[in-house]
Amino acid sequence: MKRILILFSIINFQLSICEAQVGAPYIHDPSTIAECEGKYYTFGTGGGGLISEDGWSWHSGAERPGGGAAPDVLKIGDRYLCIYGATGGGLGGGHNGRILTMWNKTLDPKSSDFKWTAAIEVASSDGMEDQDAIDPSLLLDPTTGRLWVSYGTYFGTIRLIELDPATGERVKGNVEKDIAIDCEATDLLYRNGWYYLLGTHGTCCDGVNSTYNIVVGRSKSVEGPYIDNVGRDMFHGGGRMVIAAGDRKTGPGHFGRTIIDEGVEVMSCHFEADFDMSGRSTLGIRPLLWRNGWPYAGEQFKGGTFEIESERRGYSLELVVDFVRMEQERQRFWQIDPNEPVKAIPEQKLEDVIKGWSEGEIPVRLSDYMFRPWQRWTVTPVPEAGGYLGGPYYRIVIAGTERALTATANLEVTTSPTFTGSPEQLWRIEQLTDGTFRIMPKAIPGRDGLNTRYVLYSIADSTPTLAPYDFSSDNSKWNFRSH
Amino acid sequence: MKRKSRSALAVFMVLAFLTAKAQNPVIRDQFTADPTARVFNGKVYLYPSHDIIPPAGQRQDWFCMADYHVFSSENLTDWIDHGVIVSQEKVSWGKVDGYSMWAPDCVQKDGKYYFYFPNGPKSGRGFAIGVAVADSPEGPFVLEPEPIKNVMGIDPCVLIDDDGGQYIYWAGGPMRGAKLGDNMKELAGPVTTMEGLPDGFKEGPFVFKRGGLYYLTFPWVRQEKGTETLAYATSKSPLGPWDFKGIIMAEHANRCWTNHHSLVEYEGQWYLFYHTNFFSPKDDKRRSVCIEKLAFNADGTIQEVKPTMRGVGINQATERIEIDRYSSSDDVQTAYVDTANTLRGACVTLLKKGSWVRYDDVDFSSIIDGYLVINVMAHDNTQLCVREKSVKGKVIARAPVTVKSENGPFHRDMSGQWLTLTAPLEYTPKGIADLVITCEGDAISVDWLRFKNRPKYFSEVGKNAAPAQPDNQGFIRRWRLMEPIAIDVRSNVVFTNSWLRDRFSDELVKLNGKSQKHKVKWYLLDSENYNVKLFRFAEKYGKQTYGSFFWCETVIDCPADIENVRLACGSNGASMWWLNGEEVLLLEGDRRMVEDDGMSQRLTLKKGRNILRAAVINGPGLSDMCARFLDEKGRPITNYTIVND
Repeated sequence: MKRILILFSIINFQLSICEAQVGAPYIHDPSTIAECEGKYYTFGTGGGGLISEDGWSWHSGAERPGGGAAPDVLKIGDRYLCIYGATGGGLGGGHNGRILTMWNKTLDPKSSDFKWTAAIEVASSDGMEDQDAIDPSLLLDPTTGRLWVSYGTYFGTIRLIELDPATGERVKGNVEKDIAIDCEATDLLYRNGWYYLLGTHGTCCDGVNSTYNIVVGRSKSVEGPYIDNVGRDMFHGGGRMVIAAGDRKTGPGHFGRTIIDEGVEVMSCHFEADFDMSGRSTLGIRPLLWRNGWPYAGEQFKGGTFEIESERRGYSLELVVDFVRMEQERQRFWQIDPNEPVKAIPEQKLEDVIKGWSEGEIPVRLSDYMFRPWQRWTVTPVPEAGGYLGGPYYRIVIAGTERALTATANLEVTTSPTFTGSPEQLWRIEQLTDGTFRIMPKAIPGRDGLNTRYVLYSIADSTPTLAPYDFSSDNSKWNFRSH
Repeated sequence: MKRKSRSALAVFMVLAFLTAKAQNPVIRDQFTADPTARVFNGKVYLYPSHDIIPPAGQRQDWFCMADYHVFSSENLTDWIDHGVIVSQEKVSWGKVDGYSMWAPDCVQKDGKYYFYFPNGPKSGRGFAIGVAVADSPEGPFVLEPEPIKNVMGIDPCVLIDDDGGQYIYWAGGPMRGAKLGDNMKELAGPVTTMEGLPDGFKEGPFVFKRGGLYYLTFPWVRQEKGTETLAYATSKSPLGPWDFKGIIMAEHANRCWTNHHSLVEYEGQWYLFYHTNFFSPKDDKRRSVCIEKLAFNADGTIQEVKPTMRGVGINQATERIEIDRYSSSDDVQTAYVDTANTLRGACVTLLKKGSWVRYDDVDFSSIIDGYLVINVMAHDNTQLCVREKSVKGKVIARAPVTVKSENGPFHRDMSGQWLTLTAPLEYTPKGIADLVITCEGDAISVDWLRFKNRPKYFSEVGKNAAPAQPDNQGFIRRWRLMEPIAIDVRSNVVFTNSWLRDRFSDELVKLNGKSQKHKVKWYLLDSENYNVKLFRFAEKYGKQTYGSFFWCETVIDCPADIENVRLACGSNGASMWWLNGEEVLLLEGDRRMVEDDGMSQRLTLKKGRNILRAAVINGPGLSDMCARFLDEKGRPITNYTIVND
């Protein structure tokens, strides 16, 4: 038993290393991830922020003056608008806060254009009201072009105000509207005719005991009411869970949504305590899934051994090798003796079939899943190979072998006998908003730069290839099934 | 009284940040000069000249005026611009591009309004004085085809005497006057030079009668190479000779060359209308009208008026009051809030203990349960008071300004930063009050202040009040609340089941123990909200707000048994609930005040009286709770009453 436990913890440790954002992703209240000149940025409480070249490895270095709490950053036109909360005095735990906005042409502190404009106040709380003007977030409504801000903490209500997207100033005459209670670090988003208010519930700042979690309500109007899945108004404390503790991390808070591509979304947050990083507060990036009009955090894809099933017809990715029949004692149903005990049939083993396989490249095809060795793929993160927003690259090999799925120069896909770590053998795996996955080679031989266009694609029921990603087509989508 | 020069300040003052309207200058969307104020039909009408930036081809460094607007106000604060009444291209006898429509006047006689204005004639030099007539003070004014004969000059002023006669006065050369005919459009007597006035440049006569005495008031340059003061002389007769009395207002501190004025009595108070170049600090030919109160001595002499930024009019206490527009001060300095962003406006620094700044006429009638909000900056811990009327006046609010704090887990240094602080009111003035901010310690800068009302959270319920009912959603809003008990709760604690049970049973024992019961105070309250804001209850009744334990009770009277109901509650933080002495619900762990966060098992509300009791315990949160009964289908139960004992 003891040995099993040790083994288990080792596995767990290895997996968790792969899950974490690599580098020094220490942050609290991360702003929605912003992209600037090919790099990713997120800003946190206290002043600084994180920068990532690839979306996977994060390091401090982003710069924001003003200190204060919980900023958000949004690109509007060719400038970045930063909004943050500053306690106006807050002596002795006061709640007199100010919401401030400022602009910058770039987020890169090394750029000669890097210069924040003077911060201007757009809202405040005086400390005596049921209001705490910090924790702001921005929504540029795609349907109207209007710019909205939600802000507030447990100390009173969550409020909605409107800014002028041209100036970052408060719209003249705009009156605050209370839209929720009992949450903080809120965020607004719009999707398919619905506005969503995401709030952070539970208790912050208590490390491994923090119960922070993210809840959501939705409304047909940006001004609410934001109603949860049982019809309860967030103004009465309603909210449906989007993400809570798990995966050795407690206290997700401060939601941010990033759309990578059509149907490819991630949510950013911080975890109050990452058990694999001394219980520090770290950046979290998770797939954002949508089901029945509600957002969910997907799981960090950890790898494992799977069938890779095409969403097109349900056929399975496999090596182009001979189907090897299994021997079975025939059981004619009229001859079965019901009293005879049943026995388990062992699965076909790799060594039973591998002898017949070529030692060179073996192409792939799609066929009926029969849980045979040429259909079983082991997917393993390769964290040292870098990554993309929210995940590392993976190697995809036939289980028990080094035979690796490989992209070819002519935009096809094959397997090579060994995994070399070359970019055409590294795969970006992202869970799509509908729960399926897209699988994308890091690079295509003969083409410069990262591949962000071609994905593993079912060009016919039986034929995989590489083709441009298309969320509207099931040909682009795959499932990792362990069965 | 020391007063710092405002000229530096005036450089950056623009319209945009004048949030409170009852301050000088009074017209902020255009230049206005030479104000003649008249009371017609219970309102004050203002007929100024209208300075503009000279168009190309005109002298850029000279006066430039092409038309007249008229404004009206009932409170001297909110001014309505009725638009252009006369413009140079409409004057048949005038030069269409003369830009010489200088100081005007308007009077009412026999239901008609006569507007007098100087203007450059089509041919020849100098000025003539035109007349336009209307049936209303706002116009439309119909221009006379010719100017008044035998009057060459500027700055017309007409006096309607109480014997039915009328006189016209003008400047440009020696100050002159003459009787005006009953048609108001021609002279009816000889032109008389005003005698008895001092040497020095004079213009802009404004003549009025008060207590049988005629006053001739006028801008006057008293010093060689000086600028204009406002001065006056009196006489028993409308055309003099005059007895020079002295100064009404001294020269502008910033050397704005002109001043020009009128005096008017409105609702029992005399006012001086005058102008400064506040919005055009580099060019004193673009001017703006200001107003101050003015008072007469018993002997009829006029008390000298100091220009202020405060001006006249009443501020609501709930408005943001820019304190750099003060009425008077001692030992203060006015400066930019932010020299890099002058649009943030100005602030005053009270330089040392005993410094003060007075701001007149703030209306407190809307403040019921108020507090002070004040924007301040200090370099060390200090204190200020807001007092009523005088430096030693009653303290309205006392605001400690603690910018350096060693206490608690946070060492904070907010010195040199602008902070918005609040302070409770020790005293609420009745009606309109003059505020005096006094510095009670080291130097402190003040940008603005305002007063706000606390939201209403509870109403106290009298013993004999009618029974209450749950609200439409079934929430119980009438509760007896015991004054909160301070408890020791670590920040952000997750309330565990066993800790809560221990704590609740301890408190229950104490509650039932007689000694405790006699000491503690209970309050019967109606909550304004469906959620009962226990934090605000604790605050209001002067008890610990964080780390508090609350006993809540309510007595429910049912007309009949109501079966199969559930008690649905939410609380911040943990709570335990008893119905008729039976524990029915415990909300534990890390809970917030969420509607229907937890529910009891099925219960029966029995016919007659039922006692619902709750113990709520909070840690760091803004403690509140809500409770209602729901039926099997989740519908609120509302068919009972809540009685008071």
